[in-house]
Amino acid sequence: MENSSFFERNKAYIFTLLGLGLVGFVFVKFMMIMDWEYLFKYTMHVITGGNLDGVLTPPDSTYKAMVDKAFGPNYEAIAPEIIRASNERQLFIWWVFVAEIAIFCVMYTISGRKTAVITNPNDQVEVFSLFHRAIIWLNVFIVITLVITGFNITWSLRSEGGYIPFILRGTHEITGLIWFPIWLLMSIIAFKDIKLILKNSLINKLVLPGKYKPMKRIIFLVFVMMGAGLLTSGFLIWYLHPDAYANAQIIQFKRALLYVHFGSSVLIMFFLMDFVYSVLVAVKGNLKGLITGKYPREHLEQLAPDVLADIENKKGKMA
Amino acid sequence: MSNNVDFSRMKFYCDENLCIDCNGCVVACKEAHEVPVGVNRRKVITVNEGIVGKEISLSMACMHCADAPCQQVCPTDCFYIRTDGIVLHDKDKCIGCGYCLFACPFGAPQFPKNGAFGTKGKMDKCTMCAGGPEETNSHEEFHKYGQNRISEGKVPMCESMCSTKALLVGDANEVALIKTYRAASQGKGITTESYGW
Repeated sequence: MENSSFFERNKAYIFTLLGLGLVGFVFVKFMMIMDWEYLFKYTMHVITGGNLDGVLTPPDSTYKAMVDKAFGPNYEAIAPEIIRASNERQLFIWWVFVAEIAIFCVMYTISGRKTAVITNPNDQVEVFSLFHRAIIWLNVFIVITLVITGFNITWSLRSEGGYIPFILRGTHEITGLIWFPIWLLMSIIAFKDIKLILKNSLINKLVLPGKYKPMKRIIFLVFVMMGAGLLTSGFLIWYLHPDAYANAQIIQFKRALLYVHFGSSVLIMFFLMDFVYSVLVAVKGNLKGLITGKYPREHLEQLAPDVLADIENKKGKMA
Repeated sequence: MSNNVDFSRMKFYCDENLCIDCNGCVVACKEAHEVPVGVNRRKVITVNEGIVGKEISLSMACMHCADAPCQQVCPTDCFYIRTDGIVLHDKDKCIGCGYCLFACPFGAPQFPKNGAFGTKGKMDKCTMCAGGPEETNSHEEFHKYGQNRISEGKVPMCESMCSTKALLVGDANEVALIKTYRAASQGKGITTESYGW
């Protein structure tokens, strides 16, 4: 196959879609206890009607009316999966990350670590401005906090609950709220593809230099989409706080949102771990650059020529 | 009715034909246990409101399920089921995650908004007036869970205050017998479906 073939150019997208499709199919078909037909109809019902209570058809008996009003309808549609998945997350989710780390170990053994040959370390080029670095590091700290406090909730069987896990759970909610503007800014500065459409001085200042390779573009898209899913579902789960009387009208929506939150967190973590490996483990010298904002010119020439070309291009325009 | 009751499975039952939506049980519960504002351990729902002859009301709280979903889903394993079937939880373990609320078919778990920036506090629910894991009838038990009337041989506050005796509590078999007796003594047989609460 030639390098310029469709497959070669798009294999990252094809393999990602195939992988996610395969895992998703196995999960949906064989592992989840979910009434998919109801969930689909309910989603459409919410989108088209704006009614959250989950009552898709009017009750045809007093008993059904009572159930709808007292408990909310179709308990068996989503709730059993929440119970099943709760146990599963505690017991088995470790293995997802163990498997991913094992894949990285194999890749590291085969490919090793890319290192640039630096003969003139004083010739430095500024890649990340202070603004960029502030956004990137705030994202790093906030995402790490969210991961730790999030797993504090799902793995509380190990901590056995108590005051500190209780405080960490509250921290998860507050940190999520703080993450919203930081996630938004990160999504803006990392939107490198906008340079294909718009070219002006503001875009050049705001957006990180360089072009996306397919895999990095996938990671960016997952960060944006799953981040949006996490933030929206997390905020609504927090904000929609039904009292005893309003519970039946809202609980089905909250259950569906919880699934969006779980699914988004698994996907974003998987791809963020991939990003951390490819940027910090597979390539030497990137961490220092993320702190100082500067990289040796030779590092960029050898490992990130698109970034250097972009910076040179900007400088040329300014001159 | 048998006098030899072993109370193996304590249950609530509300007769929808007798409940008049007075909310006496709700108020009695809140008053007895000093339940905070915004939290209702018990609620009364009404269906077919305003339709003569079809309007019915039910008083509901935690149903103390034999195979309680809240207990299955709790990540800290803070729930425990007593030998008489009453489902209780340990607030010292609870982290207020809300999974029990997602899993409960009845919307029984309640969360006060007393955390920082309006975040959830620790879960609160009906204890069937059986307190919690703290020392029985201690100040700590009352502060966290409310009165422990069961230990004093009393029925739960909601049932004791029910003016029409629509709300019954006790061993499931005994409650069923009372329901049968009431229906039979009216000379109509069992005229209403039993919904299980």
